[in-house]
Amino acid sequence: MQPVTVSRGPWATAFHRLGRDRTALVALAVFLLIVIACLSSPVYAWWAGVDPFKSTLDAVVTIDGVKQPVMELPTTGLALGYTPIGPTWRLGNYFLGADNQGRDVMARLLYGGMNSIVIAGAATAFTLIFATFFGLLAGFFGGIVDIVISRILDVLWAFPVYLLAISLSIVLMTQGISIGPFAIDSGSLLLPIFIIGVIYIPYVARPVRGQVMSLRQSDFVMAAIGLGAPSGRIMVKDILPNVSTTLIVFIPIMMALNMLTESALSFLSIGVQPPAASWGTIIQDGQTLLYTRPWVALAPGFMIVISVLSLNVFGDGLRDALDPRSKIKLGRG
Amino acid sequence: MKKLMMATVAAGLLAALPAKAEYQAEHRGGTMRLVSHAAAGTIDPMINYTLQYWQLYQGVYDGLMSFKKAAGADGFTKVPDLATDMPVVSNDGKTYTFTLRKGIKFSNGADLTTKDVVASLQRIFKVSSPTAGGFYSVIVGADACLKTPATCTLDGGVVADEAAGTITINLTRPDAEFLDKLALPHAVILPADSPTADVGSVPLPGTGAYMISAYDPNKGMTMTRNPNFKVWSEQAQPDGYPDTVQYDFGLTDEAEVTAVQNGEADWMFDQPPTDRLGEIGTKFQDQVFLNILTAWWYAPMNTNLAPFDNIKARQAVNLAIDRNALVNLFGGPVLASPICQVLPPGFPGHVDYCPYSKDPGEKWSAPDLEKAKQLVEESGTKGQKVTIISEDTAVSKAIGTYMQSVLTDIGYDAEVKPISPNIQFTYIQNTNNKVQISITQWYQDYPAASDFLNILFGCASFTPGSDSSINIAGFCDKDIQAKMDGALAQGVTDPDGANKVWAEVDKAVTDAAPMAALFTPKHIDFVSKRVGNFQFNSQFYWMVTQSWVQ
Amino acid sequence: MIYAILQRLAQMIFVMFGISVLVFLIFFGTPGVDPAARIAGRNASPEVLQAVRVSFGFDQPFYVQYLTMMKKIFISGDLTSFVNRGWKVVPAVLDTIPVTLSLVLGAAVLWVVFSLIIGVTAAAFRDRWIDKTLMIIGLIGVSMPVYWLGEVMNLITQSRFHDTWLFSWVPPLGYKNLSDDPKGWFLTLVIPWITLSILYIGLYGRVLRASITEALQEDYIRTARAKGLSETRILLRHALRTSLIAFVTLFGLDFGALVGGSALLTEVVFGLQGVGKLTFDALQNLDLPVIMTTVLYASFFVVLANAVVDVVYILLDPRVRTS
Repeated sequence: MQPVTVSRGPWATAFHRLGRDRTALVALAVFLLIVIACLSSPVYAWWAGVDPFKSTLDAVVTIDGVKQPVMELPTTGLALGYTPIGPTWRLGNYFLGADNQGRDVMARLLYGGMNSIVIAGAATAFTLIFATFFGLLAGFFGGIVDIVISRILDVLWAFPVYLLAISLSIVLMTQGISIGPFAIDSGSLLLPIFIIGVIYIPYVARPVRGQVMSLRQSDFVMAAIGLGAPSGRIMVKDILPNVSTTLIVFIPIMMALNMLTESALSFLSIGVQPPAASWGTIIQDGQTLLYTRPWVALAPGFMIVISVLSLNVFGDGLRDALDPRSKIKLGRG
Repeated sequence: MKKLMMATVAAGLLAALPAKAEYQAEHRGGTMRLVSHAAAGTIDPMINYTLQYWQLYQGVYDGLMSFKKAAGADGFTKVPDLATDMPVVSNDGKTYTFTLRKGIKFSNGADLTTKDVVASLQRIFKVSSPTAGGFYSVIVGADACLKTPATCTLDGGVVADEAAGTITINLTRPDAEFLDKLALPHAVILPADSPTADVGSVPLPGTGAYMISAYDPNKGMTMTRNPNFKVWSEQAQPDGYPDTVQYDFGLTDEAEVTAVQNGEADWMFDQPPTDRLGEIGTKFQDQVFLNILTAWWYAPMNTNLAPFDNIKARQAVNLAIDRNALVNLFGGPVLASPICQVLPPGFPGHVDYCPYSKDPGEKWSAPDLEKAKQLVEESGTKGQKVTIISEDTAVSKAIGTYMQSVLTDIGYDAEVKPISPNIQFTYIQNTNNKVQISITQWYQDYPAASDFLNILFGCASFTPGSDSSINIAGFCDKDIQAKMDGALAQGVTDPDGANKVWAEVDKAVTDAAPMAALFTPKHIDFVSKRVGNFQFNSQFYWMVTQSWVQ
Repeated sequence: MIYAILQRLAQMIFVMFGISVLVFLIFFGTPGVDPAARIAGRNASPEVLQAVRVSFGFDQPFYVQYLTMMKKIFISGDLTSFVNRGWKVVPAVLDTIPVTLSLVLGAAVLWVVFSLIIGVTAAAFRDRWIDKTLMIIGLIGVSMPVYWLGEVMNLITQSRFHDTWLFSWVPPLGYKNLSDDPKGWFLTLVIPWITLSILYIGLYGRVLRASITEALQEDYIRTARAKGLSETRILLRHALRTSLIAFVTLFGLDFGALVGGSALLTEVVFGLQGVGKLTFDALQNLDLPVIMTTVLYASFFVVLANAVVDVVYILLDPRVRTS
């Protein structure tokens, strides 16, 4: 049923189609803008003259010529509590106020964004690589291999993510881990990447497996098998290119999902370790200030919503472009 | 959350409330509604080791002795409870003879007899009470009980004379703190037929003014009046005002504050979250009670692990910390005060001492970063990696983050790891986890210097490889230990002289710096508008049933 | 047919077995979680520690401890907590079911109704501005971290605007029993329902729109059009009906997961003592018996929902054949 009037290659067609999807392009632009802003965080911190990773409880800020301490003790009533300065809405001068260590929230927001994006991106790569590997094996060989892999994926899928994450975080964050030649240093970014990457493997591996299964039955694969080509070669040369569309469609969607997961895990204190930050951990820090200085928690939340939204919109466009008949089912089961 | 596990007792040095007035019958009745974030585990009074329930046990259970139900430091006074008088001490302080009161009934209707006393003291060992080894091992026969709890008899240790109504307790050695120990909830008297295993969530009958009538750790606890109760001693077990005490679990700290503000609850157990302090300190200041605790926040440093196996490194940390900043992180100078030494102010043996200040002397004034940097340089530990283990609670994490910043300033490659508060406390004790420095707290059990110095820095409290090794710093100094043993012995006959020795020990430990003392916290009680007659007892905090709601 | 059911059952058991073993191993492999010292209390002497170890059976080999625990969950039902000792875990989990069900059912009603409205409207006006707007709104719903949304809701309704006419009716956080206080039950749950359902309204609205659009391309719709049926009738009676298959399967999976405790973050933020909150608290305390029970409970629902959805799918859609 494929239209035969293809004059460009399939990739070029998709690219062309995407180029006409204005909504998707705007979304991509928004996301790239956020990435650029986050990448420029060191510049911002330098310009604002703040160190986003150092407790500066005795810092002083000058607003409209008036000096004001960043952390303030109240003088009325029983004089309880220790409150950071609220948003000044002046760029480079505690724009969003300070957190409970007297650190510039705006500077941390940008630094944190970098970590959030890196984690989401790297976890996506991790998931896609392993999911493809397992999906290929299970779908291509079928039989016992399929059963074993599928059941493991089942267990992983029904397994409570939070328990896995909490336990792993205690082990890994305090002691690090070394598997053979690989050593994950405690407290490195690799930890959240690893946790998030693992838990979504079934999410991607299942559709890949299904697709590989149907490809396995297709004529050209049968022919290749008939000709005695080695399995590995068939998988890499014949099947993988056909699965790649699915994988590409998954990239922005997984990025979005991972970003949400990262923030949820940070809510449970599993994530980037202080004094470093991610949007999730800034929200968590802000929770203890929610009623007095809500912007500490609100700002990173809005950043997550905007980033995830732009990724999702772009993901929509990408899918429409690559897979107009939406053969790829993105179920959640 | 740590309080759930380990908080116990405090001294209210501020609470200079008027002496207890007559029982005011017009205020009797109503329901006192308490809220807390979570339950505090088993309800068995011999096993539970939390402030949260010890506070309630005061109106429910009695021991032979008890702490006086009075406001302020008067609450440290020991008074006879189920015993008619203070015991007769003989045999060089090794034999205590009590006479049991007559006519007292348990809440289940059974009469209190000497059999119950003997069975209860045995039960401490049979149920493996956490303090069985630490507090009660001085009783004759305790060794055998610790080895095989099931067959515990305390033969020769606890002797009852049913006809005369007396109990005689024999000790293996004199113990100046024995009566304090008998006044703690772990030594309350329960019916002789109580199960010899942890009862978990099934309440045991007691002799107090109230009884626990329902308990579900996921929902709440209800206390009602004990129908068989008659006042025998106002000081030991007074009658209470509310008819019912209803304790609900499960709200977040934020929601607890809101509930008390709106009058939907009368008191919150948890300390209000720091971002609500400003609000309750201004809009609700008449409903807030602040009391200083005999407790401290401190940062034990592992004396057997680099870089803190070097005394200069440990002293450098002590010098570098801005204790005022930590006090502010805790909630401001109204809520805590800086400290450099082990014994809290107002504690027996406490003499102001602070060598780790810009101008060393009695009180802390400011950090001395220059000297700290120099000490790190001299110690040759500069640039080493240091991991701070804090609890994953708002305050502890903030302190950990701040200390990370300070340690980086004085030349270490520092990082901070907040871990779940329920694990952190056992995690930092176990030497296998190789913790270099951590942040923790200690609250007194009873007012004696040994409860801080000998327990936290004594050689006997250090058990390598065990989760129960409360000497977290792994500090064991032969000379200091000898001095502490001497003070313990001297305390039996000469408490004042012993306290002078404890002051010297305090100084010596502070100089050796197996820890950085941070600050002495205060306790906030936030009550609803209708609560009257609030009294803070130094030993067991607010006396719940001595306040009224109508 | 019977063989298929048995096979499915075997798979379920295998998955639950795998999960329980993993939970067990992870628990004991984690440093600092050894329950003995925490049970014994602070500063317990080595003798006391040993006595506790023996009485809780921590000195026995792992497989014995594992089997004992499974026996206590499934056969005698008298498993007790390590933290709140004597507290029976199985009844405790059963007790939380009404709370979670109240939350999930109410949210489900909201999300089904609103996603139907959104999905059908968007499909009816497909590729016009109203469709695009609705889809973007749906995406915003999908893009919000649920606990953050809950915190913001709390900030608005409990603090910032609590004293205005708009939110003065919002009761304090916590759950009220339906039987004791129906009005209180309803009022306390309104905000949690909205918070939980927003994600699913967005998601389901989008799924529904996509499948209706797809259905509208099918041959039988063309036939219906050719017969001269009105566009509304075609949309509602024919296209929507076939599209509901995808909707129902998705609903089954999500509902199962939520009943099993996936509403954890919502329950925690709003202080609802449901299965999720129980799991969360147990995780904070590292209370293995509770973790194990809630995890098995949750995975049971996830696996069961998967199985039910498979069966329903076959029943609803005769085109599908089991492979």
